[in-house]
Amino acid sequence: MNVLPGWLRRHVAALRALLVFTAVLGVLYPLAVTAVAQVPGLKDRADGSYVSSGGRQVGSDLVGQSFTGEDGNPLRQYFQSRPSAAGDGYDPTATSASNLGPEDIVDEGGEQSLLSMVCTRSKQVGQLEGVDGSRPYCAESGAGAVLSVLGPRDASGAVVRPTRVISVNEPCPAVPFLAEYRGVQVECAAPGQDPRAGKIVPVRGSAPADPAVPADAVTASGSGLDPHISVAYADLQAGRVAEARGVPAGTVRKLVEDATTGRALGFMGQPVVNVLQLNIALDKAAPYRG
Amino acid sequence: MLASTLLASAPAALRKLDPRVMWRSPVMLVVEIGAVWTTVMTVLDPSAFAALITAWLWLTVIFANLAEAVAEGRGKAQADTLRKAKKETTARRLTGDGGEETVAAAELRRGDLVVVEAGQIIPGDGDVVEGIASVDESAITGESAPVIRESGGDRSAVTGGTRVLSDRIVVKITQRPGESFVDRMIALVEGASRQKTPNEIALNILLAALTIIFLVAIASMQPLAIYSIANDPGADGGFALDAHGVTGIVLVSLVVCLIPTTIGALLSAIGIAGMDRLVQRNVLAMSGRAVEAAGDVNTLLLDKTGTITLGNRQASEFVPVGGTTGAQLADAAQLSSLADETPEGRSVVVHAKEAYGLRERHPGELAHAEWVPFTAQSRMSGVDVDGRRLRKGASGAVTDWVRDQGGEVPHALAAVVDGISASGGTPLVVAEARDGKARVLGVVHLKDVVKAGMRERFDRMRAMGIKTIMVTGDNRLTAKAIADEAGVDDFIAEARPEDKMAFIKSEQEGGRLVAMTGDGTNDAPALAQADVGVAMNTGTSAAKEAGNMVDLDSDPTKLVEIVEIGKQLLITRGALTTFSIANDVAKYFAIIPALFVALFPGLDALNVMRLSSPRSAILSAVVFNALIIVALIPLALRGVRYRPGSASRLLNRNLLVYGLGGVVAPFAGIKLIDLLVQFIPGID
Amino acid sequence: MGATAAGILFIGSLILVLAAVHVPLGDHMYRTFTSTRHWRAERLIYRIVGVDPDAEQVWSVYARSVLAFSAVSVLALYGLQRLQSHLMLSLGFGGVEPDIAWNTAISFVTNTNWQAYSGESAMGHLAQMAGLAVQNFVSAAVGIAVAMAFVRGLARRRTGELGNFWVDLTRAVTRVLLPIAAVAAIALVAGGAIQNFADPHTVGTLTGGEQTITGGPVASQEAIKELGTNGGGFYNANSAHPFENPTSWTNWIEILLILLIPFSLPRTFGRMVGDRRQGGAIVAVMAALALISVVALNAAQLAHHGTVPESVTAASEGTEARFGISNSATFAAATTLTSTGAVDSFHDSYTSLGGAVTMLNMMVGEVAPGGVGSGLYGMLILAIITVFAAGLMVGRTPEYLGKRIGAREIKLASMYFLVTPMIVLVGTGIAMAFETPRESMLNSGPHGLSEVLYAFTSAANNNGSAFGGLTAATTFYDVALGLAMAFGRFLPIVLALALAGSLARQTPVPVSAGTLPTHRPQFVGMVAGVTLILVALTFFPALALGPLAEGIH
Repeated sequence: MNVLPGWLRRHVAALRALLVFTAVLGVLYPLAVTAVAQVPGLKDRADGSYVSSGGRQVGSDLVGQSFTGEDGNPLRQYFQSRPSAAGDGYDPTATSASNLGPEDIVDEGGEQSLLSMVCTRSKQVGQLEGVDGSRPYCAESGAGAVLSVLGPRDASGAVVRPTRVISVNEPCPAVPFLAEYRGVQVECAAPGQDPRAGKIVPVRGSAPADPAVPADAVTASGSGLDPHISVAYADLQAGRVAEARGVPAGTVRKLVEDATTGRALGFMGQPVVNVLQLNIALDKAAPYRG
Repeated sequence: MLASTLLASAPAALRKLDPRVMWRSPVMLVVEIGAVWTTVMTVLDPSAFAALITAWLWLTVIFANLAEAVAEGRGKAQADTLRKAKKETTARRLTGDGGEETVAAAELRRGDLVVVEAGQIIPGDGDVVEGIASVDESAITGESAPVIRESGGDRSAVTGGTRVLSDRIVVKITQRPGESFVDRMIALVEGASRQKTPNEIALNILLAALTIIFLVAIASMQPLAIYSIANDPGADGGFALDAHGVTGIVLVSLVVCLIPTTIGALLSAIGIAGMDRLVQRNVLAMSGRAVEAAGDVNTLLLDKTGTITLGNRQASEFVPVGGTTGAQLADAAQLSSLADETPEGRSVVVHAKEAYGLRERHPGELAHAEWVPFTAQSRMSGVDVDGRRLRKGASGAVTDWVRDQGGEVPHALAAVVDGISASGGTPLVVAEARDGKARVLGVVHLKDVVKAGMRERFDRMRAMGIKTIMVTGDNRLTAKAIADEAGVDDFIAEARPEDKMAFIKSEQEGGRLVAMTGDGTNDAPALAQADVGVAMNTGTSAAKEAGNMVDLDSDPTKLVEIVEIGKQLLITRGALTTFSIANDVAKYFAIIPALFVALFPGLDALNVMRLSSPRSAILSAVVFNALIIVALIPLALRGVRYRPGSASRLLNRNLLVYGLGGVVAPFAGIKLIDLLVQFIPGID
Repeated sequence: MGATAAGILFIGSLILVLAAVHVPLGDHMYRTFTSTRHWRAERLIYRIVGVDPDAEQVWSVYARSVLAFSAVSVLALYGLQRLQSHLMLSLGFGGVEPDIAWNTAISFVTNTNWQAYSGESAMGHLAQMAGLAVQNFVSAAVGIAVAMAFVRGLARRRTGELGNFWVDLTRAVTRVLLPIAAVAAIALVAGGAIQNFADPHTVGTLTGGEQTITGGPVASQEAIKELGTNGGGFYNANSAHPFENPTSWTNWIEILLILLIPFSLPRTFGRMVGDRRQGGAIVAVMAALALISVVALNAAQLAHHGTVPESVTAASEGTEARFGISNSATFAAATTLTSTGAVDSFHDSYTSLGGAVTMLNMMVGEVAPGGVGSGLYGMLILAIITVFAAGLMVGRTPEYLGKRIGAREIKLASMYFLVTPMIVLVGTGIAMAFETPRESMLNSGPHGLSEVLYAFTSAANNNGSAFGGLTAATTFYDVALGLAMAFGRFLPIVLALALAGSLARQTPVPVSAGTLPTHRPQFVGMVAGVTLILVALTFFPALALGPLAEGIH
């Protein structure tokens, strides 16, 4: 060894160290943890908390699923999960969040902005559940209510006298959500027009401050695999599911309660309803005869 | 006063605009480069705003140079006086064969012997090797009373340029040509030989780092700004922003406001002023490093005699023994001391007068008195008068005398004598022989008298965290008593010169910085070893060479002031650095909204000062940045007030004033300036 | 219980447990790194490695050992990713693309764990456990080792020696990381985190569709990912993935694991310098900054300013229902305050001001409490800069723990402080100046700028979290961020070690009444203040054009 120059000796030592640690930490450690995880009570969880329905493995208790038909529309007899940005929805091989920002409010290049997504979902959920799907900053059409106000600006950046106003998220030939803005007629968004030519102004509108459709129903989760929905969203869906399955609402509400997990130790996280669990229980207790 | 000083220094300040000079302060060099750049841009594209910004950027640089020039100017007057002392003289050099030749002072070499007689100027620094003379050193010390210089001992050093008033001395030259004490003094007070001190170097590094980081922050902002404006094609960027990003003049303004110009401008003035404050107190620091080290000192080594105590012991008490009354003893003690011209003897007479109202008698009044002088053999003195024989002296000598005269020594005496010794005093026994009967009258208690105010000084030192050590040749008991009375933290008794050296070394081993004063040749090694060695001007050349400071007043207690000045120097630097950085907060709040408000109207919320327009906001920040330098020049020269106390309390106060004040002051200042500049046409 | 009260209790319980645990753990690490005794297993490791565990190293040798180990690690990890298709447990994935493999190798070796790859679609089990997870351990151990060497520089006197890198590395693994990770892994399994070697398994869903459930040794990797403040997830969705972080209480445990070692090391430091109060002061600075950040981030998220959050009525985009917004914000604060970068919710969708807080957390330099080890030496260097800037005001040459801060020390400390902001600002500037890097932005306008700023901030500070909208798997970002990570990790390490070497040689100045006390609230406030002001001043322009432009209306 000593014939080697110092720097080389050091790198040889480094390589040996890395090999030792790879053996210990990269192989022995995970194997040991796996071995311990084979004890009863842990093994199911270590394997992925698989759940069955009607004797058939239908997924994991921890991984959310879509409850939509082949056309992509929600199945009325099932509780619906949150919107998902994982692949085409709830794809464990492509977990992802939308990563769209709080001011992503202009639809561009055919891509819906986050605001428009929220508005569209809210409208759809409202229709499905028979409640008012309106939200602040949402047009009735389900697009984000955002104007591009053109015209010269003053030193503080304000448009002094608007010359044109465009509803950027409502492509022609849609009728803009607002007829007039500061005395100028609002136009629909003509193709090829740069919405950023004007000052971008979201319009709150008259929607109630407390929309009927809960927040989790209109926003995607971080993983795209969120197995849960809020209690509020479950309550909203209970009536529709009971109706679709032809059972009393009370039965469904009871099942919702069973599928509800409160805060751990009373203060960790928030109360949630496991949608897959709930739907499996529903299929068992009140099979759908559609 | 300040205005006229500033005006007088203006030419010097302008001369310092030379980049080769500016290089010494990288922060200000950046400002100067910025000023050149805006000048070019203003010429290419003139506007009121551009012209004003350019003017104020130049003023910023000039103000910084002004600070340095003013600081240097203060030493000029002193330098001029010194120069007069340096006028060409001739020297009478002794030749090897005992003859004498006349040469120019500049030709003198080390080791040359020169003769100086009354009325002549001493041609160079050296030591008196022969003779004694009174010398007028007022040219250097400002002190008009002549001083005695003599060969041998610790008062042998003479300085070139001073005048011999009486007698004749032979001086051995110790300086190298052109490196005389006066030369060095001139260089020091003018600041010409100033080198950056260690802390100053370190601070400069930090300031350079901050400058770099702000330069990068501003440079990297440019592509971000270009992106932002491109992203909103409909927006009008306003005057500060166009498709190529933030406009050049605004960018330079931002850089200048953010880099630490305040401290960068004043740093060198603070250093010069610190040295100058020492000079005002008649202390010459041979290096800035020594001044800084003074602030760091952990241990002060002080000689007992002359520093802590008055030079001599004094009678403080008469302790009668046997049946004697105090008045009798006082009378006897006074009589026996009348002929004793030593300070101790005089003090007995004085104490007898003060304590017992005894009129002072003169030896002439006692016609038949026969005076017995003190000798090393007899170890006592006295007088024989009117059949009375009085003796006063060391305990052993006097008791032996009493026994020889057939008297008896009372047992009580031993206790009194031992008690006085134990308390650090010196007992002098007084005895009387009358009618063939000898008896002990009592004991005079001589003690070292601690100078007034020493305890307070040492308390102050302790509050600063400085340990004071008294060095004395006395025995432990005596040393301890004095140490307790003076309030020093520790003492070295029965000290030999090498003990001092060893002590300094051991303190330094422990990481402590040691300061000491000294004057003798045997102090020289210790002075050299100490981190701060203050040589007395009266001392030997060797001592003055070894130390890194010279006290022209030869006042050993001045160490305390030197330490305070050292601390003040560091505090001033720290305070202005903190102030400078804290200032940036307000400047950001002035400039950033001004830059981008046209693009992002929401940023107007950051315009907390409600400045009237983007242009006035930027100009106000630049003007404030320049004016604050001028406003702080007096502080930089005077130094931040230093009150001895714990570090914690000191810091709290300075943090409040310079930290918090540094955050708040510019908000008010910039707002005020904005209220004025908004009326300038083209700035609204 | 109301949501707000629950959120506060969640934070409070973490604080309580950390307050209780940091003392014994800090003491344990003190014993670990000062003990002269070697375990038998450790002796075996030293024999295999071929080093004398009792030989001390001067700073330059220590630094070279760190660099050698890291260089070898980068090469090995690169090779493993490129060759995974030829090895077992590859799940059929091919070799990772060269630029992604290089980026990932740097990323994991530098304790950044920036994910340019998507775990479930690129990495086989072997690459995950023998490559990524090993680096999760050893890169954390390197951080702890350097911190210990730095502390020795402060504690020791008149020596050039800072310890032995191989011993520090080994002990950090055997006595600190491995035992805690093993226990934590089992706890996570109990919560539902998976731990198997299964291939992806397709099931028929309730509605008759198909879903592929993935397998893997997740829990064992998740534990060290949080404990070692690494952050590179087994899956793309990271700790938001139900298999990595299945319940609200595993979420709590993961946050605790993230904060555990960084908050305990100051105690170790205090013990090593022989004055626990010094450790107390450092932990107080960290805790104060962290608490401010946690509260600010929670407040920003719960206030949900911004057009979309106001439309939604909550900042729930990108958050998991089981965690809720408050706990997600607390996780986000913890992960960005440390150099972890694991996420249980997606910062890109946070409110503008919430996103600004996550960025500021990293911009502070990952010191409150920062990454394992790196947080401690980063904070100590900030303390040194504070001592220098403000300490002059007590009228002495600045000193920290008796060590004088002279020109050489301040030069190294300033350079340390300069490196990361320079990388962030220069990197962001370059990226924003060119068309191609700008095309990677998902969001437009100021938010797009924030994505780029976040990426370089995260990489240079070795955090690894992202505003995930940015398509970072491009050659430009793979290379640029790889360089940012490498320089952001190793330049500071070398500078810190050089500084330690310089401090160790000094004879400490004894404490006196004139010494600036560095254990009192006054000093705590000063360090926090200096840190915040310097960082705010450095990044204010960039933040003004990113999150502030977006978030202030």
